[in-house]
Parts: sequence; C-alpha cells; structure tokens
Amino acid sequence: MTYALNVLQLMLLLAAAPLVRGVVACLKARIQNRRGASVWRPYAELRKLFAKEDLVPPTASPVFRFSPVVLFAATVAAAAFIPVLNGSALLGATGDFIMLAYLLALGRFFLILGAMDGGSSFGGMGASREALVSTLAEAPLLLGLTAVAITARTATIAGIVRWTLAQQVFHLSAVHALALAALALVAIAETGRVPVDNPATHLELTMIHEAMVLEYSGPSLALIEWAGAIKLSAMMALLIALFVPWGIPVSLSAVGLGIALTTFVLKMAALAVSLAVLESSVAKLRMYLVPDFLGMACVLSILAVIFTALMR
Amino acid sequence: MAHILFNSLLVTLLALPAVVFAAGPWPALRRLPSALLIAGLLAGATAAAISLCHPSPVASDLSSFTPFPFVLSLDRLSAYFLLLICAVSAPVVLYSAAYVERHYAGRRRIWLWALLPLFLLSMVVVVTASTAFAFLFGWELMTLFSAGLILIDGDDTQRRQKLFIYLLMMHAGAAAVVASFFLFLPHAATLDFASMRLAAGLMPAGLRTAVFLLAFVGFGTKAGIVPLHVWLPKAHPIAPSPVSALMSGVMLKTAVYGFVRFGFDFLGTGPAWWGYLALAAGALSGVLGVLYAIAEHDLKRLLAYHSVENIGIIYLGLGTALVFTAHHAPGWAALALMGALLHSLNHALFKSLLFLGAGAMADATQTLDIEEMGGLFNRMRTTGTLFLIGCCSIAGLPLFNGFVSEWLTFRSFLGGATLSAATAAVVLPVMAGVLALIGGLAAACFAKVYGVAFLGRPRSVEAGDAEEVPLAMRAGMALLAAACVIIGLAPGIVLRPLSAVVQELLPGASLPDGALSIVRVVPWLAVAVIAVSILIVWVRRAPRITPTWACGLPGLNSRMQYTSAAFSKPLRKVFAQVYRPDRTVLVEPADQPYFPASISYREVRTVHFEQALYRPAVNGIVAVANRLRKLQTGNIQVYLLYMFLALVLLLLFMRLA
Repeated sequence: MTYALNVLQLMLLLAAAPLVRGVVACLKARIQNRRGASVWRPYAELRKLFAKEDLVPPTASPVFRFSPVVLFAATVAAAAFIPVLNGSALLGATGDFIMLAYLLALGRFFLILGAMDGGSSFGGMGASREALVSTLAEAPLLLGLTAVAITARTATIAGIVRWTLAQQVFHLSAVHALALAALALVAIAETGRVPVDNPATHLELTMIHEAMVLEYSGPSLALIEWAGAIKLSAMMALLIALFVPWGIPVSLSAVGLGIALTTFVLKMAALAVSLAVLESSVAKLRMYLVPDFLGMACVLSILAVIFTALMR
Repeated sequence: MAHILFNSLLVTLLALPAVVFAAGPWPALRRLPSALLIAGLLAGATAAAISLCHPSPVASDLSSFTPFPFVLSLDRLSAYFLLLICAVSAPVVLYSAAYVERHYAGRRRIWLWALLPLFLLSMVVVVTASTAFAFLFGWELMTLFSAGLILIDGDDTQRRQKLFIYLLMMHAGAAAVVASFFLFLPHAATLDFASMRLAAGLMPAGLRTAVFLLAFVGFGTKAGIVPLHVWLPKAHPIAPSPVSALMSGVMLKTAVYGFVRFGFDFLGTGPAWWGYLALAAGALSGVLGVLYAIAEHDLKRLLAYHSVENIGIIYLGLGTALVFTAHHAPGWAALALMGALLHSLNHALFKSLLFLGAGAMADATQTLDIEEMGGLFNRMRTTGTLFLIGCCSIAGLPLFNGFVSEWLTFRSFLGGATLSAATAAVVLPVMAGVLALIGGLAAACFAKVYGVAFLGRPRSVEAGDAEEVPLAMRAGMALLAAACVIIGLAPGIVLRPLSAVVQELLPGASLPDGALSIVRVVPWLAVAVIAVSILIVWVRRAPRITPTWACGLPGLNSRMQYTSAAFSKPLRKVFAQVYRPDRTVLVEPADQPYFPASISYREVRTVHFEQALYRPAVNGIVAVANRLRKLQTGNIQVYLLYMFLALVLLLLFMRLA
C-alpha cells in the first residue's frame, strides 16, 4: 500500500510538473497586467514537441541525442526521493539527500555535454554559464540539507519529514530559518528562474538555460522542457517536505490522504504565487552578480551548520 | 597458494628486464614482455585478493639476499594496496603493448619494457614491506625508476629542469620519511613494523607528534598535497602516457598507504589537531587542485592537477578518520577511512583510464591541447565512450565509482554532529560544503574537457582526420572503465573486503547504522535511470540531420565554437584571486576604427603563493651555498687542514662523550 502510494506521489510530481510552470507563467502575466496564456499551455507545448521531428546537426555525435534522455531519467530518479503525500518516498536510504543533489548534477552534466555538441557558439555560451551557476550552487545546497539533517538527527529525507511532523511550527529553530533561506536561493538558481536566469528570454547577452537548448527540437526538446518542469516542482516539493510537511498523514487513511493532497496543492500554490511575485518584482542579475547571490546562500547555509552545533 | 603467487609476481618483475634485453633483437618475441608482465600482475592480483579475504601469514623473508632485514608480508592493508597496484597496472600494460609498439623503437622500447617492471616492483615492495629498510629501499627506487621512465621520452633542458624539481622534492620528502622511521629507534628494538607498532605506544607524546608531522610532510610530498604539489604538474605530464597513468593512478597511492600505515597502524590515536591538519591539507589541495585544472587546456597537465584534487578528497577522508579516532568514535572513523581507501582505488582506476585516454587522443591528433581537438567522438567511438565513463567517474556522478567513495566521505562528515566537541561538530559538517564545491568544479571541468575535445566540430585538420587506436589500447581502457562502472553499480563488491581492512586498523569498530545503505540503493537508482532511458530510446523515432541555424550567414565553422578558455572564463573570473593572472593585450590600430590590424593577447599565470613559499627557501639555500663555497679554495694545503681539524674535533667528541 505504502509502495503504491509512493509510486502515485512520484507520478503526481511528474504529471503536475508542467501545470506548475503554467500556473507560474499565468500568475506572472496577471501581475504584469496581461491576460496570459492558459495554465494548460505547457501540456499543449509538450504534445506539439513530441509529435514533431527531431533535428540533429550533421556534426553532432550520439551524445547529442542521448543527453536529454539521461537528463530526464536522472531528474525523474531525483524526484523519486521526495516524499509528497506520504512519510516516505519510492527511493530512500540514509544519506539520500546527497544522492538527490548528485542526480541533479548528473542530468546537468549531460545537458552541458549536449549543448557543447551542437557545434555553434550559443551552446557553449550557455554551457559555460550553467557550469558557473551550478558549481557555485552545489555547496549551499548540500550544506543547507546537511544542517536540516543534523537538526533532525537523521540522514534521510523521509526521516527529516517524520521528525518535522512531530514538531510544532514554532519549535523550529534558527537553523531552519537559515537553511530555508539558503535552499530557497539555491532552488531559484538551480531551476533557472529570475533573478539568476530568465526562462522567458532569448537574448544572447543574458540567457543561460535557453542558450544551452537552442539546438534542440522536437521530442528531445520536449524531454528537456519536461525535465526542467519536474526539477522546478521537485525543488518546491523538497522545500515543502523539509520545512512545512504538516498535512502529510502519520498513519495511512483515505481522509488523511485527502488532507495531504489538499494541503500539498495549497502549499505548492502559495510557493507558485511567491515565485511569480518575486519574478515580477526583481530584475535579473548581471551574470557576475550571480556568484554574490550564491555566495549569500553559501554564507547562510554555513551559518545554519554552525548553529546546529551551537543550539544543541 | 597466495604465497606462491606473490613470489611468482616478485620473480616475474625482477627477471623481466633480463628477458627484455635477451629477447630484444628478435621481432618474434615482441609480445613476450607485455604477456609475461600481465601474467605476473594477474598472479599478484590473485594473491592480494586471496589474502584480502582469508588473511594467512604470507611473508617472503629475503634477508639472506640483502645486507639488511628485508621482509615482505601481506596483511589486509598491504593486500588491498597490492590489489590496487596489480589490478590497475595489468590493463595499463595491456594498453602499453600496443602504445609502445606505435611510439617507441629500438633501444628506447627495450629500456621502457625493462624499467616498467622494475618501477612496478618498487611499488610492490613499498606496500608489502614489513621492515623499515625494505620500505625505504622500495621508496627510493620508486622515485629513481619513474625518473628513468620519464627520461625515455627525451632529455632536453626543459625536461631536465622539471625532472630535477621532481627528484629534489622527492628526496626532501624521502628525508622526512627516513627521519620519521628513525625516530622510532630508541624505543623499538628493531625497525620491523611489529616492534614499531609496540614502540609507538611507549613513546612520549612529543615524539609521537614529531613522527606524525614528519610522516605527514614526507608522504604528503609524494602524494602531492598543496603546497607540496609543485613537482606533480611538472613531472606527470612529461612521462609517456602509460607511465603517467601509473604515476598518477598508482604511485601517489603508495604515499596514501604510507600515511595510513603511520597514522592509523603505528601511531593509532593522536590528538584531534592531527586530523584537522590533514583536513586543512585536503581542503586546500582539493579546491586549489581543481581550480588550477579548470584553467588548463593541456590535457595531461589538467589531469595532473586533478590528481592533486583527488588526493585532497582522500586526505579529507583520512583527516576525518583521524578526528574521529581522537574523539573515540571508531565506527565513524572506520566509515571515513573506508571512504578514503575506496577513493584511492577509484582514483587509481579512473585516473589511469583518463591518462590512457589522453594518450589515445594524442596518438590520434598529435597534440595534447584540447583546443586543437574537437569532434573526436564521431571518429573514435570506443575511446570516446570509455573516456566519457572516466569523466563521469572523476566528476563523482551517481552510477559511477567516484560517487560511491565521495558519498562515504560525505556520510562520515555528517557523523561529526554526533561528537560532543564543538569544533568537530562545526568543522566536519562544513567540510561537506567544501567537498560539494570540489565535486561541482570537477564536474564543470570534465564537462569542459569532454565537450571541447570529443564533441562539436573538429578544431584542427588533425582532429578531423583522427583514427581510432588499436584494439589492445582500447581493451586496456575498456577494462578500467568496466571496473569503474561495476564499482559504481555494485559497490558491495569492494566495500565488504574493505570493511575487513578497516577492522584490522581500527579494532572493534562497528560501522554506524545504515552506513552502507548505498550498497542497497545504488542498484535501484541504476534500474530507475536505465529503465527510463531505455524506454525513451525505444519509443522515439530516427532524427533528421540538418545544418545548425547560422543566423542566416553562410554557415558555422569550428572557430565559432566556444573554446576551452572561453568555457572556463566565468569561473576563472569568479576565482580571480586564486589565479591572479598577468594579462597583456596589445591592440594595433588600423585606419578603420573597429577593425584593428592585429590583436595580441598573452596571459601568464604565476602561482603567487608558491612563489612566496618556495622563493625564500631557494634564495636561502643559494645564499648558504655561496657562503660555503668560500671554504672550497682549491688549495690542497687548506683541504689537509680541514681533514686535520675534523680529526681533532672527532677525537675531542669521543673523549667528551
């Protein structure tokens, strides 16, 4: 039963991922006083791309077509570590948050390779920038997760969720505040949102992710886009699971599951609104200010780790 | 059984040079040296595997052949490192069988095949020695034989200079190692390892610290920890590729072995600052090693800097283990030590693979500059795939072996929070961030290497005409790559014997709960990733090949691609404080305002802290040498006076003592 539920929550994360993107885009449009496209547009786009032909540059190697596949598979595997409706996840073991971070790195590594394989300058440009951002995001991501894990005295994501469920909201410490701030900054950088990268831009001076995928088309591009959407949802779900998991039932029941689903949707909606507000109110950072942005995340996460030792 | 196999390894390695010189002139016997060498190494690997699983006292007492006690024996730690040496060298030798044929002829070929087994023998002696003299004998020969192998590729002034720095640093390091052994003398009756182990318990704390520091510096020089690494990026790239693979992959591990032998076996528990010292060295080596590597585009120098980085990761594990033993947490210490030892094996595998790959790429393109390669994957499918496995492994990506050892190290950092000492509880978890930074930078660096060298368009005519290397070379690389993947997917194969090794060093240590959960999870992870990949590949259709959109211009060429320098530019700019580049741009103006006649760009990276550290020492030595030169007047009467004075002083000394 738990197993089926774990599969279900992974499927939910995969299936709803484009919707989250659509909702954020729609909310952004509303805030900017536009009508905006339907929230279902990402699904239509994926359908269109999957139906199209895959175009490959003549100089590209098999790595070019293989990369989106690895990216997608690694992102799905990473999402399988995150508890959504249940106190456990499909994959999980002690130290699993390290695996989660490194699975995202695996996908990114191959995406960079795919970008370099296009043979034009845009791919390399995006790859180089992505390498900068992701390299600097790695340390705060792991330090933030480490701080939370130490506070919860467990090294599994599911264990952290169960520990937090047993606490009162107001019992959460400064460690959580610092780690949340650090991880939120990292999540913005990792998923390529404003102010680090602008998912809506195609201006070569500023684009990071879009430059990397410029040579991709058809099903390959669909896989990349879907993986990107899953990554966004997974990061949001991870923040929810680590910091505000309340609503997840301690023991299995139909009512509990209903509450879990409702609260999860509400929490995701709240995060989507705050993301849309943030993206509409902040300007994109200059490329060389991104290291400062991530440096701040790094400092916050180191403070979080230091506080774990001070507050026991 | 293990005894016979081990002795046959020794005999093969010792006898091979004679066989090579005897068989040299006959072309029919060309394959003989490599075949014999591989057979010997396989025997050695089997002996090591047997004694790793069923430790039986395997000892070869060769004291009757030598003027000093010379005993080789295999306890679990020795067996593990012997396995590392044999298992990694065998594929390298297989690769060399074809590589040497293509690149060396006549006397150079004979010398290479004669020195290679001796070099391997010296490393085998180091890791199996159980007397100080045997250890030091192997330690010195290891340096000399590797220097001899470097000289096979030529001895112009520049190479000699680099080799001189290598020998100088190695001898300084060896002096520290010798001193650390001799400090045992007043307390140990003889310098065999068993009595040294007993003596270490009786020594006063100050002496133990002196031994530790000397061993740290001595082995650190050989391992190449920052700031003692300066020889490494000079010496490793100038050797023939298979020798570079052995030097970086295997020889550095003998230093790790020595440090583990001293730090954990002889000295046992020490103060916590020993661990912090090792952690600081590891963090510094890891971060600086990978940062210097990112700025390189000479493939072998880049790989050499990555050796510094990986030694840093190993020292992070060793330092953590020392901190845990100091705080009486043997279980966590065991986990950290397992991480360090496994990373030693993993690094040996993937670094050898990458160096062999570099040799294959140089073979195909006649250059080691990745800016001159490009698009090699389509011309060298097998090498390209194997090199990709190496890149993924060294970048610590899941499903490959580098991830397993880095995961173990991460996991042991988390254990720091269980200690009551506040320093450990802060420092160890923060090290997780350092390791993450190292991992991120390494991934970026190898994405660059692979993207620039193997993907995209060919960047030179030679790269466009590259041809795949012969079967033996590919087979050697394939064996190493297979080991990387197997350890990455089923880490239990190595972790179980390894926990026995660690048990021997830290008796009574029981690993923390769920410490080896990776053994359970990684196969599932692999199933998930591979199943999803296969599903997608199976359902999708064939692509249409069409030129890349060139913004309406006549088409793209290889000069429009991002170069290695351009790729690493943002990272170099962010870490400019580390590089402190000395840059000059000369623009020669022309009549038209926006199109200068020529632009020349020159960038020199001088490593400032190295200059600051080594320059005063070198200046001091030169100054002292100049002073001492005044003693050498060239006048024979003065020399006779010196001898007389020395005699008088000695007599006085004997009288007074």
